Amino acid sequence: MSTPVIAQPAAEPVVVKGGPTPAQRLTSFMPVIALVALLAALTIADPDFLTQKSLTAAIRTSAPLVVLAAGATLVVLCGGIDLSIAALASLSTVFFAMWLPDLGGLTTLAVIAAAAGIGAIQGIAHVVLRIPSFIVTLGGMSIFSAVALVISDAGPIRVVDRDATNWLTLYVAGYIPMAFFVAVVVVAVIALVLKLTPLQSYITATGYSESAARLAGTPVDRVKVGAFTVSGACAGLAAVMLVSRNFSGSPTMADNLLLPAVAAIVVGGTAITGGHGSIWRSLVGALVITLLRVGLPIVGVPSAYEQILYGAIIVAAVALTLDRSKVLTIK
Amino acid sequence: MIPPANPEIGQQPHPMVPALEVKNLVKHYPGVKALDGVDLVVRQNEVLGLAGENGAGKSTLLKALVGLVRPDSGEIWVRGEKVRLRSVVEAANHGIGMVFQEQSLVPNLTAAENIVLGSEGAGVRGGVYRWETMRKLAQEQLDKIGSDINPLARTDTLSFADRQMVEIAKVLRIEQRSQHPPVIILDEPTSVLESKEIETLFTQVRRLREFASVVFVSHRLDEVLDVCDRVSVLRGGQSVGEVATAGAAPADLHRMMIGSTGSDDHYHDQAYERSAEPLRPMLSIRGLSGKTFRDVDLEVAAGEIVGIVGVHGSGREDVCRALFGAEPTLAGEVTLDGKRLDLSSTRAAVAAGIGYVPAERKIEGMVGPMSVADNMTLTKQQSRCAGPIVMPKRQSSLVDRWIERLSIRTPHRGTQIQRLSGGNQQKVVLARWLVAGDIRLLLLDHPTRGLDIGARSEVYRLMRELADSGVATVLLADSLEEAIGMSDRIVVMSDGKATKHVPCPSGDKPTPLDLVKEMV
Repeated sequence: MSTPVIAQPAAEPVVVKGGPTPAQRLTSFMPVIALVALLAALTIADPDFLTQKSLTAAIRTSAPLVVLAAGATLVVLCGGIDLSIAALASLSTVFFAMWLPDLGGLTTLAVIAAAAGIGAIQGIAHVVLRIPSFIVTLGGMSIFSAVALVISDAGPIRVVDRDATNWLTLYVAGYIPMAFFVAVVVVAVIALVLKLTPLQSYITATGYSESAARLAGTPVDRVKVGAFTVSGACAGLAAVMLVSRNFSGSPTMADNLLLPAVAAIVVGGTAITGGHGSIWRSLVGALVITLLRVGLPIVGVPSAYEQILYGAIIVAAVALTLDRSKVLTIK
Repeated sequence: MIPPANPEIGQQPHPMVPALEVKNLVKHYPGVKALDGVDLVVRQNEVLGLAGENGAGKSTLLKALVGLVRPDSGEIWVRGEKVRLRSVVEAANHGIGMVFQEQSLVPNLTAAENIVLGSEGAGVRGGVYRWETMRKLAQEQLDKIGSDINPLARTDTLSFADRQMVEIAKVLRIEQRSQHPPVIILDEPTSVLESKEIETLFTQVRRLREFASVVFVSHRLDEVLDVCDRVSVLRGGQSVGEVATAGAAPADLHRMMIGSTGSDDHYHDQAYERSAEPLRPMLSIRGLSGKTFRDVDLEVAAGEIVGIVGVHGSGREDVCRALFGAEPTLAGEVTLDGKRLDLSSTRAAVAAGIGYVPAERKIEGMVGPMSVADNMTLTKQQSRCAGPIVMPKRQSSLVDRWIERLSIRTPHRGTQIQRLSGGNQQKVVLARWLVAGDIRLLLLDHPTRGLDIGARSEVYRLMRELADSGVATVLLADSLEEAIGMSDRIVVMSDGKATKHVPCPSGDKPTPLDLVKEMV
C-alpha cells in the first residue's frame, strides 16, 4: 500500500445546507401532485376527458381565475389579504361595457388602469390609516358591488362591438387559448420581476415580519401599496377576459370567483400568514380548482355543491399547511 | 430504590433531604445533546444559582423540571421521592413552579385575576367569579411575599418590577396543591428590570428562601453571586461543578462556564488605540423631544462610543428609535456630519448612513425564515444589485466575505437565520449595516442581550473595530458594567431628560455606583 502523495484532507464536516427537509420538499410539490392525481381521477371517471378539446376548454375557463389569484397572492405574501378582487372585477366588467363605445381599442388598458388605481387606493388606506387589509378590502368589496349595481342600473350591459375583445378568443399555436396564454405570461412576468429585483426580499421580509422589515429600512409601505395595485390591475384584466367570453358587463359577473381565488392561493401552498409562497403556486392552485369545477359534473356531483367544496378546501388546505409553531395565537 | 432520606421520619422530610434532586438527566434533540447527564441538587431553603453559556442546557433542564420537556433518561427526585413530571400541572402538584423569562401575565386583567388565573379554587362559584373571595385569595398570595401591590390594579398599569412580584405571587399558588414547601424557578428574572428594581427582586428572593427553595438563572454573574447561596455550573449539557458563592468572583464562574480562562480584557479596552486629538463631530442632537423624552442634547464624534444609561422608563430606547425615524419626534434638531437629518422614516435614516440594531432581535432584528444571505443584504440592496437587478454571484461572494470576516458560524449562506445561535444571528444583523461600507452612525439597543460570554466578546470587538474605522456609536448597554466597559462617554437619562454627561476614558472609568447615583 502506498502512501498518498497528496495528504488527504481531514474529513469534511457534514454541511447541512439550510434548504428544505424532504418532508418540506414533498409538501411543496403537493399542489402539482394534486393536479396530476385529479387529472388521472377525472380520466378514469370519464375517459373522454383527456382529450385536447376538453382540456382546452378547461384551461380557457381557468384564465380569469389564474389572473385573479396571481394578483391577490402578492397581497397574501405581504401578510395581508384582498377580499375585494372579485367585486372589483365585476365592477370592471361594467366599466368595460360602458366605456367601450367611447374609448374603443383603449378600453382594455383604461379598465386595467382604473382597477389598478382602485387597488392602490385600498393599499394606501390600509397603509396610511393603518386599517387591517381584511377590513379595508371587505369594505371595498361591498362598495364596488354597490357602485357596479348603481352605474349599470342593476343589470347586464351588452357589448356589441366584439373587436376589442376578440383577440382573447384566439388560439396560440392552434391549441392554447389566448386568454390562458396571457394569464401565464402575466404570472411569468410578475414572478420574473420579483426574482430579478430586491422586491422578492422586500415582500418576503414584510410578510414574515413587518416590524423587522421596517427596522431594516425596507420600503414596507410602498411594497404593500404596490401589491394592492397589482392585485387591482389583475382584477381589471380578469374582467376583460370575462367580458370576452360573455359579451357583456354585469355587476355580479365575477362575484362567484372570490372563494375559488382564495382557494387557489391556499391550495397552491402559499401561507395565509404571509412570507412563504409564490405566484407560480397560485397558478397550479387555480388549475386544481378549475379541474374540480369542471370535474364535478363529470363524476355526477350537482354544481350546487361547489361552494361547499371550496369552503372545505380552504379550511383543509390551511389546516395542512399552516405552521402552527410560528403562529402563537390563532385568531 | 431507597431514597437518601431516612424513611422512618415519615411525612416530615428530614431537613437534609434535598428539596429537588436531578440525577443523570439526558435529553437529545436531533443533532444536539441538550442534556448529557446533568446532576443537580437543590437543598431546602436555599437559593441555588444555575449558570452556563447559551446552549449549555439551562433552558432544557428548567423545562424538564416543570414538565415541559420529557427527558430521555435520568431521574428527578422531589423530597426523597422519585417523580415523573409530564406537565406543568404535575410539576405544580409536586410543588415546582417557574416564573418564565417572558412575562406571562394577561395585561388587561387585574393583578388578582392573574394571580388566581388557572387555579381559581374558591374564587369561582357556579362558574361565576366571586370577586371578594378572589381578591382575598390574591391578597393572601401578595402577603406571603410582603408586597403592597393593589390586587385590583390592572396589570398593565404596574411597573415591570411589580409585575414580576405578581408572577411570583401567582407561582406561589402551587403551595395549595402540594404538601411540601415549594421550589420556585426564576428564569432570567432580571432581564427586564433596571438596577433599582433588581434590588427589590433580590430582597424578595431572600424572603422566599424562608419558606421555599429557589433556583435562580441569570446571565449576569454578579447577580448570581449576589443573591445565591450556591451556584451550579452547566457546560455542554453536563454539570461541571458547584461553587459556594461566599468569596467567589464572577471570573471564577466565568472560567468554569467556558472551560478556560477568558481574556481579562473582556471589553477589548486596551486592544485599540484611541487618539487624543479632538474627534470630528458626527452626530449632534439639540433639544430633541418626543412622547417619552424632552430636550435631549447629545453629541457623538466619529469613532466615539457613547453609552446612554438609565432606569426603565428613562426614555433612552425611544431616543434611539427616534434617531432612526421609527418613533415620532415633536421638536429638536439633529444633524449628522453637518447635514440636517430627516427623522420622518427609517428609509431616510438608512439613506443618511444610520444603522439600528433593535433589542428584540428575533422579532425586530431579523426575518427568521429568510436566509443568512438575504438577511444580510436586506437593507443595502445596492450591495448585491446592478441597477435594479439582483446579481446572485455578487451577493454570494459579498456574504461569504462577511461570514468569514465576522467568523459567523453557519452551515451555509443559504441557511435560515433562525437556525443559527443567538450570537451568530446578531453578527448577521450587524453585518447588514456594514456590507455597503457607508455606515456613519450605529444605534445599538442592547446588542448583547441574550448572548453568551463568548459571543458578547466578539460583538464588543466588532464594535471597537467599527469605532476605529470612524463610525459613531450610540450604545444602550445590557448592564452598567457593559456601558462602562465599552463607552468613551456615558450620558445618564432620567425621566426623559439627559441629566448628566460622564466622561469614561480608558484607564479612568467611573464605577457602577457613581452612575447609579445619577440615574435615580
